[in-house]
Amino acid sequence: MDSFRSLEQLIRYTNIRHGILASNIANADTPNYKAKDINFKLALDNELLLTTTSDKHMNNAGNNSTNEVIIKEADNWEDKNNVEIDMEVAKMTENAMLFQAGISLLQSKIKMYKSALRR
Amino acid sequence: MDTFAVLKISASALDAQKKRMNVIASNMANVHSTRTEEGGPYRRKDVVFSSVLMEQNPAPLEGVRIVDIATDNSPMKTVFDPGHPDADKEGFVTMPNVNVIEEMVNMMMALRAYEASVSVFNISKTMFMKTLEIGRQ
Repeated sequence: MDSFRSLEQLIRYTNIRHGILASNIANADTPNYKAKDINFKLALDNELLLTTTSDKHMNNAGNNSTNEVIIKEADNWEDKNNVEIDMEVAKMTENAMLFQAGISLLQSKIKMYKSALRR
Repeated sequence: MDTFAVLKISASALDAQKKRMNVIASNMANVHSTRTEEGGPYRRKDVVFSSVLMEQNPAPLEGVRIVDIATDNSPMKTVFDPGHPDADKEGFVTMPNVNVIEEMVNMMMALRAYEASVSVFNISKTMFMKTLEIGRQ
């Protein structure tokens, strides 16, 4: 049942990231607004802890960073706004595809359980 | 956690950009208005955007709203046109400080931002619909 949990995490984090990217696009012309993102990879690694049966096995202990929000520092424009709208749309498309991949995988997983139960 | 916060963010952006478009249209329409209710020629208007926090947890989600419609106090244009009813003794007319090219550029920016928010809204909608498909069939 572990993969259910990891897929759930994937869907949850892509959902959170989608909200952050939507904020960036909404504020593409707001003075002093700084583009934000979430450290998605670290957040995901944290949830996908490897199950180990020996101390010698690879694990991801020490990777304790939570889902940290990254605020982009660079100033590109006079109004102190640093949102690059094309980049944000590209990120959002990528993120939405990842989300849909998560949903599809979850669906096929459920399908597998269903067909196993039917026998 | 508001499930539909992301849709509200897109909606706030659409609303703000639409109001900005109204202000631009008013500037463009009054490019030659030498008389206003306040007296004197028309002064260019500009919107002031501000981000507004809609949700803090689990990540900060910020929408946008218009906090002010500011008046541009840059100098007016003077045009030599002795036949104009509002011309002064030397024949110069004070025209609004609206630059049509600048307004066109602002209009395109507003349009692009609006289009981007529409795409975001559609992506969010697709994501919600996909979520509802979990466990079907």
